Amino acid sequence: MKTAFFASALFLCVFCSSSCQNPPVPPEVEKAKSQENDLWRAGAPLYASDEYARYLESLRLAKEKLIRQNVRLRWFRDYKEVRSDYIVILAQGDALIQKVQVEKRSQSQDFSQRLGWLEERMGKIKALTQLMNEHAPVRESLARAEVVSREAQILIRNEKYTELAPKLDLIDGHIRQAEEALFSILARYADDSQVARWRKLADDTVSESRRRGTTVVLVNKLARTLTLVKKGKEIAVYEIGLGKYGLSDKLYAGDEATPEGRYKIVKKNAQSRYHKALLLDYPNEYDKRQFALAKKEGRIPAQAAIGGLIEIHGGGNDFLTNGCVGVENSVMDRIFPEVAVGTVVTIIGSLESVDKILAGLRISGS
Amino acid sequence: MKKFSKFLVLGIFVVSLFSSCAKQPTQAIDAAKAAIEAATKEGATVYAADELKKLNDDLQAAMDEVSTQGKKFFKKFGTAKEMLTKVQADADALKATIPAKIEAAKNAAIQAQTEAKAALDDAKALLEKAPVGKGTKADIMAMKADLGGLETSFAEVQTAIDGADYFGASAKAATIKEKATVISDQVKAAIEKVKGKR
Repeated sequence: MKTAFFASALFLCVFCSSSCQNPPVPPEVEKAKSQENDLWRAGAPLYASDEYARYLESLRLAKEKLIRQNVRLRWFRDYKEVRSDYIVILAQGDALIQKVQVEKRSQSQDFSQRLGWLEERMGKIKALTQLMNEHAPVRESLARAEVVSREAQILIRNEKYTELAPKLDLIDGHIRQAEEALFSILARYADDSQVARWRKLADDTVSESRRRGTTVVLVNKLARTLTLVKKGKEIAVYEIGLGKYGLSDKLYAGDEATPEGRYKIVKKNAQSRYHKALLLDYPNEYDKRQFALAKKEGRIPAQAAIGGLIEIHGGGNDFLTNGCVGVENSVMDRIFPEVAVGTVVTIIGSLESVDKILAGLRISGS
Repeated sequence: MKKFSKFLVLGIFVVSLFSSCAKQPTQAIDAAKAAIEAATKEGATVYAADELKKLNDDLQAAMDEVSTQGKKFFKKFGTAKEMLTKVQADADALKATIPAKIEAAKNAAIQAQTEAKAALDDAKALLEKAPVGKGTKADIMAMKADLGGLETSFAEVQTAIDGADYFGASAKAATIKEKATVISDQVKAAIEKVKGKR
């Protein structure tokens, strides 16, 4: 009896010592923990929220199974099923990481493309502001859009896509403000009947040159060109500069606008403070009528004078005149001998409607 | 028989003692959760996102331990309690660091704002000094308009600071500084252009 008791005790000791070591928890459990952290850091809650929620649920169920095994007496623990569950979860996590990366790449491309379009619109508007001097409200809005655009670039670089949509909306808003300001400046240039009048004026001037065999000067304010036409043929085109409000039609003294219409050179001044100058007969009869009408309608200050001393002069084309047409001194040297007192100078807004350019801006922005 | 009954009663008493006297550490759980909540409210989501995530993971590990022990016949919540106490202490410590982090972000934003203001003032001063004669007047006017836009944007930096969006304020101020510096460089180039023509 005693021997049997000792034998049983010995057997029990051997059994216990042989199974005293814990069966190892599958390494996949730790891996999954680390993977979950990686997913969180990669932004899975933001970029694949549904899949991430499913992943977390799978993880929770697997963890429950793990806990069930852990509460068993150590020699009854079996992690086989737990391990296979965790293997499935790890695969699910790997696929999720791929999905998050694809989603982030896609968002990066999408936002970069949208930002690219906005920047293209900004570039087009900015280029148009080079054609005018009255661009302050346009450029101010563009500068604000550029600030936000730079912020958006940084957000894209830092993969903060969730903050990007409002930034892009803000850029769009500033661009729209710039466009509105631009449209108000260029409204006359998008008016087909106005453009037709300018075109007729230019055609008549060239026809007259051809018919009479004379030299005429054609100034296109929007294109910023001065064209010398001899016997109806274009012989030279030069770049010009205008005043602060050069695209507007001159109405009164000090409005810094450049008059539009048919004029004649009334004086050639070889000793001008602006190198050389060709004085025009502004205001002509039409200008005087317009001035009187504007005053009557209260569109100009009551004390305003009609002004004068409108010239084509040297001094450079990259400055602001007070309403004159500025050219480089070397250009003035070439024009001066080609014209005479009495030479016709026709100043027009544009030969082409800017309607298409303006419409293009809106279309690309929508 | 009487002796057997005594042993049975004693046995039941001992077993109940081991299996149920260890109660779930509800108080420690609530305290740990409350500490994390407090850290979150302080701004941990923005200023210590990684640390907050680790705290939540540690809390989950502690809850797993509670769950494990809860299922055992002989429950021992000592380890879980220790884990929960650590989570609470870590959360309290994290919460304590947030004001300093917010202050640092605020100071960085104010510094960036000051630098942007200085860059704007420099550009403005240069534009005032710039030769407005023929050859540069149009350029200067364009730059003045650009600077006007930057000044309007600059006001938004203060709005962001007032709204405690310090990272946003810093980013905007840095951009304005960058753009204002570009304008200053352009003015300098315009001045050089005029000098070159003389």
